[in-house]
Amino acid sequence: MSASLERGIHAFKEAIDGPVASFFSSCVHCGLCAHACLFYTETGDPKYTPIHKLEPLRRVWKQEYTFWGRYARAFGLSKPVTDEELGEWETLVYDSCTMCGRCSMVCPVGNDIAYMIRRTREGMAAAGHAPEGLIGASRRAVTIGSPMGVKLPALEAQIRHLEQEAGLTIPVDLEGADYMCLLSSMEIMNFPEYIGAIARIFKQANVSWTISSEAFEATNSGIQIGVSEIAAELVQRVVDAAEKLQVKAVISPECGHAYMAIRWEGPNLIGKPFSFQVMHIMEVLDQLREEGRLKTTGKEKQRLTYHDPCQIARRGGVLEQPRNLLNIVAEDFVEMPEAGKMNWCCGAGGGVSANERADELRLRVFNRKKSQLDAVRAEGLVTACSNCRIYLEEGLEEYHMDIPVTGLTETIAEHLVEEGEGGER
Amino acid sequence: MTQISNEAEFRHALAGLDADRQRAVAALFVKHVLPLCDDERIAPVTDVAAREDVPEDKLAEALRTARTTTTDCHARCGAAGDWSAQAGYFVARAAVAALTPAGQMPGGPAWQAAMASRMAKTCEAIVTGDDSLGRESEEQYRILVDFLNS
Repeated sequence: MSASLERGIHAFKEAIDGPVASFFSSCVHCGLCAHACLFYTETGDPKYTPIHKLEPLRRVWKQEYTFWGRYARAFGLSKPVTDEELGEWETLVYDSCTMCGRCSMVCPVGNDIAYMIRRTREGMAAAGHAPEGLIGASRRAVTIGSPMGVKLPALEAQIRHLEQEAGLTIPVDLEGADYMCLLSSMEIMNFPEYIGAIARIFKQANVSWTISSEAFEATNSGIQIGVSEIAAELVQRVVDAAEKLQVKAVISPECGHAYMAIRWEGPNLIGKPFSFQVMHIMEVLDQLREEGRLKTTGKEKQRLTYHDPCQIARRGGVLEQPRNLLNIVAEDFVEMPEAGKMNWCCGAGGGVSANERADELRLRVFNRKKSQLDAVRAEGLVTACSNCRIYLEEGLEEYHMDIPVTGLTETIAEHLVEEGEGGER
Repeated sequence: MTQISNEAEFRHALAGLDADRQRAVAALFVKHVLPLCDDERIAPVTDVAAREDVPEDKLAEALRTARTTTTDCHARCGAAGDWSAQAGYFVARAAVAALTPAGQMPGGPAWQAAMASRMAKTCEAIVTGDDSLGRESEEQYRILVDFLNS
C-alpha cells in the first residue's frame, strides 16, 4: 500500500463517524436519490446515483466497522480499496456532485448523502485524489487568504474607488461595529458592485458595519476539497477578526457554500460556539425591511424569477427572506417549478466550478435549469450567490437563452430611495 | 448648457434619456475604456450600440456576442485572479449593459454601463498600483454633458 493510499484509508476511517455509520447501515438501496440528482436525471447514467458515489467510503466502513465485513476481510473474501479505484471515483466525488443536498431530502430513511460526500472527500483529498483546481484554490486560501489570490491592496483599491466615485463610506476595521461583512473573492473580482450595494443600503438604513482587513474572505476551500484542518483554519481567521473587532454579527455574503461553512459547520470545525451571530445578507436585508429601514421606490417591470442557491436555501434555511425582498422591487415575480428547498442546483456548487475538468458535464446538466426557466418564461433571473450567478450566465449562454442574471442585493440597492427622493412610488 | 457635477445629477440625467439615447451614451462610456479590453469582439458591438438607426436584429446579435465575450473572460471560481484580464471582462460587461433592452437592466443600461466601465478602470489601477489615474466618474460626467449639449 502506498503512503498516499494509507493516508487516504486512514482519513476514510476518521471520516466514518456515528451518522455516517448509521446512514450506511440504514440505506435500503431504493435508488430514490438518483432521481433527485441532476447529474443522473440529465445523463441517465447510473454511475451518477448519489449513493454509488460513496462506494469507497462504504467499503471501508463495511470492512473496518461491521462484523461480517471484518470476517470477510480476515478470510480474504473482500477486496481492499485500491489507489486505482480512488482514481476512478475522483470524478464521481468531485465532478458530478455539488453537495447540493437534494438527494438527502428525498432519502426515505433520512440519510444525509451530501454530508457523506463531504466526508468521502476527506479521504479522497488525503489520498491525493482531488482536482488540481481545488488544490490550487486551497493552497492560495491558506497562504494568501483568498482562493483566487485576492490580496488586501486589491480590495482596498476597490473600496477607495467606490468611496471616491460614488461618495460611499466603507468602514474597514471599525471596532465595535454591529456587523462585520465578509466578501467572496468572486464578488471582489467579478461583482464588486455588491460592495457598493451593501454600502448604499447600510447608509440608508443607518447600519453600523465594517470589513476586516485581516479576514475579509468568506469562501472556504477546505470545505470544498474536503480537508477539515484547512476548513477550520479559515473559519478561525474569521472568528479571530470578529472577536478582535467585537462585532455582534458576521454577515455572510452572496455566496452559497460560504454561508454553510461559517454558519452551520463553523462552530463544529473549531470546536466551540461563536461569541457572535452569523447571518446571511438576505436575512439582514429582510430584517431591515421588517423594521421599516429599507425604503425602496419603483419596481422592476420584467418577469423576474429567483434561483435559490442550494447552500443558502436547502442547506441553510434562508427561503422566505429573498422572496420578501423581491416582492418589494418586482412587479411580476414568478416561481420556477420546484423552487425553494427542492430547487435544482445550477450545477457548479461544491467546488465543481473550480474544477475545469468538470465543465462539459456541468454545462450538460444545466439542461435541468433550462427546463425550470422555460416553464415560467422568465425575462430576468435573480440569485443570491455570485458563484451561481456566473455559472448561470454560462449555462444560459450555452443554451442560447437571453436572460440577464443579477444579484439580489444590488437589485434592492438599485431601488433605494436616495437622499432627496420621496418614498414608494 | 447642462452641467453635471455629482452622482445624483448624473443618475438623474441618465434616467431622463429614452432607450435609444441611453444606449448611445452607454456606448460612449464603453468606448472610453475600450483600450483596456484586448478581445476584438467588443469594439464592433460597441459601434453597433452607438448607432441610432440600428435594427433590432442587429442589436440582438451584438448583445449575444457581447454576452459570449463576457462569459468567456470572467474570473473562474477558485482560479488565480488576473486583474488585467478582469479589466477586459468589465469592458465586455459594460458592452452587455449598453446593448441590453432598457426594461431588463436594473438602474438602466447607461447607468450599468457606467458602473462596469468604472470597475474596468479600478482593475487597471490595481494592476498598475497607480491610484492617481483620473476618476472615471468625472470622465463620464464630461461625456454625458457633451452628449446632452451636442
